[in-house]
Amino acid sequence: MNFVAIKSDNSPLRSRFDSVSGAAWLLVGLCAVFSVLAPSFLSGANLVNVLLQATILLLLALPMTLIILTEGLDLSMGAVLSLCTVVLAVVQIDSGSIVLGLTAALAVAIAFGLFNGLLVAAFDLPPFVVTLGTLGAAQGLALVAAEGRTTMGVAEGLRWFWDGNWLGLPVPLWLAALTWAVIHVLLYHTRFGARVFALGGNREALRFGGITVKWSLLWVYVLGGVCVGLASLLLTARVNGGHPTVAIGLEFDAIAAVAVGGTAFERGKGGLTGTVLGVLAVGVMRNGLNLLSMPSSVQVAAVGAVVIIALWIDSARGKA
Amino acid sequence: MNTLAQKTSMAMPHLSPEQRAVLLRLAVLGLLGLALSLAAPAFLTTGNLLNVLRQASLMFLLASGLTLVILCGGLDLSIGANVALSACLAATAIKGTGSIALGCAVGAGCGLCIGVLNGLMVTALRIPPFIATYGMLWILHGVTYWYMNGETIHGFPPEFRMLGSGHLAAVPVPVYLMLGVLLAGTVLTQYTTWGQEIYATGANTEAAALSGVPVHARRLAVYALSGLMAGLASLVFLARLNSAEGDMGESLTLQAIAAVLIGGTSLFGGTGTLVGTLIGALILTVVLNGMNQLGISANWQPFITGVIVILSVLSDALTRKRQGG
Amino acid sequence: MTATAIPLLELRGITKRFPGVLALDDVSLTLHAGEVHMLMGENGAGKSTLMKVLCGAYTADAGQILADGQPVRVRHAADARALGVAVIFQEYSLVPHLSIAHNIFLGREPLNRLGLIDHVRMHAKARGVLARLNLDLDTQREVQGLGVAQQQMVEIAKALSQNARVLVLDEPTAALSDRETQRLFEVIGELRKQGVAMVYISHRMDEVFSLGDRVTVLRDGKYVATLRAGDATPDELVTLMVGRKVDMSYHRGERPAPGECLLEVRGVSAVNGIRDVSLKVHAGEIVGLSGLVGSGRTEVARAIFGADKLTAGEVRFAGQPLRSSPTHARQLGLGLIPESRKQQGLALMRTVCDNLLLAGLKRLFPSNVYQPGRGHAEGRRRIAQLRIATPGPRTPVQSLSGGNQQKVVIGKWLVAGTRLFIFDEPTRGIDVGAKEEIFRQIDELVRQGCAVLMISSELGEVVRVCDRAYVMKERALAGELGGEQLTEANLLRLAMHHG
Repeated sequence: MNFVAIKSDNSPLRSRFDSVSGAAWLLVGLCAVFSVLAPSFLSGANLVNVLLQATILLLLALPMTLIILTEGLDLSMGAVLSLCTVVLAVVQIDSGSIVLGLTAALAVAIAFGLFNGLLVAAFDLPPFVVTLGTLGAAQGLALVAAEGRTTMGVAEGLRWFWDGNWLGLPVPLWLAALTWAVIHVLLYHTRFGARVFALGGNREALRFGGITVKWSLLWVYVLGGVCVGLASLLLTARVNGGHPTVAIGLEFDAIAAVAVGGTAFERGKGGLTGTVLGVLAVGVMRNGLNLLSMPSSVQVAAVGAVVIIALWIDSARGKA
Repeated sequence: MNTLAQKTSMAMPHLSPEQRAVLLRLAVLGLLGLALSLAAPAFLTTGNLLNVLRQASLMFLLASGLTLVILCGGLDLSIGANVALSACLAATAIKGTGSIALGCAVGAGCGLCIGVLNGLMVTALRIPPFIATYGMLWILHGVTYWYMNGETIHGFPPEFRMLGSGHLAAVPVPVYLMLGVLLAGTVLTQYTTWGQEIYATGANTEAAALSGVPVHARRLAVYALSGLMAGLASLVFLARLNSAEGDMGESLTLQAIAAVLIGGTSLFGGTGTLVGTLIGALILTVVLNGMNQLGISANWQPFITGVIVILSVLSDALTRKRQGG
Repeated sequence: MTATAIPLLELRGITKRFPGVLALDDVSLTLHAGEVHMLMGENGAGKSTLMKVLCGAYTADAGQILADGQPVRVRHAADARALGVAVIFQEYSLVPHLSIAHNIFLGREPLNRLGLIDHVRMHAKARGVLARLNLDLDTQREVQGLGVAQQQMVEIAKALSQNARVLVLDEPTAALSDRETQRLFEVIGELRKQGVAMVYISHRMDEVFSLGDRVTVLRDGKYVATLRAGDATPDELVTLMVGRKVDMSYHRGERPAPGECLLEVRGVSAVNGIRDVSLKVHAGEIVGLSGLVGSGRTEVARAIFGADKLTAGEVRFAGQPLRSSPTHARQLGLGLIPESRKQQGLALMRTVCDNLLLAGLKRLFPSNVYQPGRGHAEGRRRIAQLRIATPGPRTPVQSLSGGNQQKVVIGKWLVAGTRLFIFDEPTRGIDVGAKEEIFRQIDELVRQGCAVLMISSELGEVVRVCDRAYVMKERALAGELGGEQLTEANLLRLAMHHG
């Protein structure tokens, strides 16, 4: 990406605030709309529900933010997540050990992350095609792995990760907060994070970086794998088992959340704050539409429309 | 696969690279067929071979439009969902009015509209193709599911079902359709000026624009065609399955992409042929069919397809690097 | 700055060869601490190449580099950085959505005990570096929001933070306003006081004389002279830069008298920055468009051809108004042979024939039916006509040499029935023998009654080949030269900030 100079955006942090505040306004707007249309929306129980459901999506959307910052994409997250729930459930049920199950699930998720990352970083392949291929592969493996095996009815200890509380707050929230904290530090307080911004914003700036640059691109996808592994723990606990198609399409919600939160697909613009707001916005939208008895199909279409609009605005603003 | 191409080029110097690529893939197809007929006796029966042809024709119908889009430097991830929605709408029309003609028009029309919308997103709104069609995929998915509401529409007039399941002179009808599209498509790509412009746009969009090629118009056209082909394919699909439901065609997109890539069309645009896509469709269908014959669970199919896509892209990228592209 | 002080940096006898061209031939340069050393020469004289050798992007084939009197090896960019050499390129290496401080220290961010970035220290250090430049910018601001001049300052700060002792500035004021230029000069003054040596590549006479301590002139890759700025005059410098060129055997043939006015450009301004450009080209003429790099010549070509939208004025071809669309331009009879033929002129993976026919498809096949037989016949005809060296029409155009690739691009427009050819640096990257060929082809074109508008950075070419020439300066027209007035010195004078 060569450019003589970066086109000025007039005011210093307007670009950042524009998209983040946009997401915030969207969130507020959605809450307002749904609290009018669906009386039970604002109830304490429902709001806690929204937060809980959002944790899994957040675990996917956080690493997805980094991936998209590097001008990449990971379409395989949903399929790999499904696969991991199956692996986790099967191993846990067969061996009786939660630790073993979690290890297996993490291993699978990290393996896929490594594979994606290698193809993108070492061979320069377009991320969307690579991860489309891994999507298919993971999907197939998930179906195969579940065949003829018991995948439901995991140990109570495992279910604690969804149902349980620690220090008064639900465990999933702790996990989500912890993940957010780690990724926040990685992105904003390490040299690795700076490289992530540079990979999307101006790879030329890294021209003296050498091989470290390629490694950073690889790690971004591996990080995705780790988070998918963690998410599989929550999801398996929530559903009380594994299922090969349980998370299909979740990557799309994650991409939507990231896009709505202001992270652009080019030029390394964006951040985690926006993603958190985006996740909440998507969560609220789905929850609200659910309360209005709209089938998930409509929800999906709505999310799709929101992504397109977000992209259009981003594109129009970028060309202005 | 590529050093093999070099070796064959020395053996048959009078053929162009495209012709060599086609021959190579035919050879692969032949070898596959041979291996399978040895491993699974049921493979080589007339019934099964006709079945393979039928399946491959269907895959080709869908992949033909996609080939044009990829040739022109774009991508269409929404075709599978396009097939689903078009089929469901067509099914409603046929069942509701009893008119097959109307149903076909609706199906094709729906596909075409979706294609045009994709094209507009890419050319007018300047949204990158993969994300535009990916978003469209989910919108279509949602709309289809909502429209069908979990129900199935089945039972269509036998004349209509001929399209998908019928035979004409012992050959499945879809094969004739496939041949027709192959002929028309080859004429379009190889024997019209538009075809030349499409190749040029895919090979180097900027140079094509600076040579006076109306690139926006051409790109819009290929997306429209891709949508139209998805619409037409949905009719054949519908006729074959004799039922329409919300989750039709989910695996079709990945398979179509695999067929196009195996066939030698480069994901980066500018090279490839419809004949290649046809052979790619045949190879993929034979692989999937073979897996069935060998008793391998159907659940492995998405895995194999995914692996094939990755290997094809890898091979494509490495070839380009070697050519200094 | 005494004459006997050991130079901070010295380049001795640098020679650099590329396939087919001797870019640098025994060039020497010395730099003293705290001096502003101007490097001048026309386009292609070797200034950029010399600087690339200095910063490690290229390795010299012969010659020595000495730092503080000791010979050193500069093989990679890292070696140059270790010596304290930093180059401020025209393409900035800043990350848009990171802060100023972070950009300055990218890859070298100070860490705290936990191994995490110490933001406090980083911003403090950044403020310190900026203070050296007398700059008071909020280091938290994203670089994205800064103007061009300020981004340049950040680049300079970045270099300084790596303890640069030698700063190379390549036409730094090209994109700056007058006030910003003043600011930059103040910064340069500061740096000079701090003992930093600066190599300043410029074409602006006023800058050379107001800022420079010494001036080195290069010509055709050779070292010409080094003068003290105070001892030289602008005319002297121009004479040194221009001069007897490599002998070309090109003989200008008979030219027909200029015919009808084919191209008329009136008061054209465009989105790409050009302002109020007017020019005319008649049939049978070769008109040059000269000017320094960045003066807007390519932009004029693109505006005429419709590749960039006009904001004012109009373009007429043979009396007909042109719409801002290359398709329309082609239809009326214009053709553009772009500067970078690989990126903008050819589809490398396609065959010679495919490329030749692309612009002429509508003309050859009005019914839109493409007949490969006829197509190949036309291709062969053009290959013969232009003497394109290729194994056949079906060879991928990628495997042709630069000169032959250029011929394919020309051929493309011949097939399209073009009457006015716009050439943007027609002989760039082409060896001497092939250059002759290209000019013969161009001659042939005008003999047939076509017209040519030729952008060229080689003044000798313009003088020898063109009937008239317009000169661009900073995206506006500086003047027109013809007849006896068309000399290299005059072209350069009009192009530069002088006289």
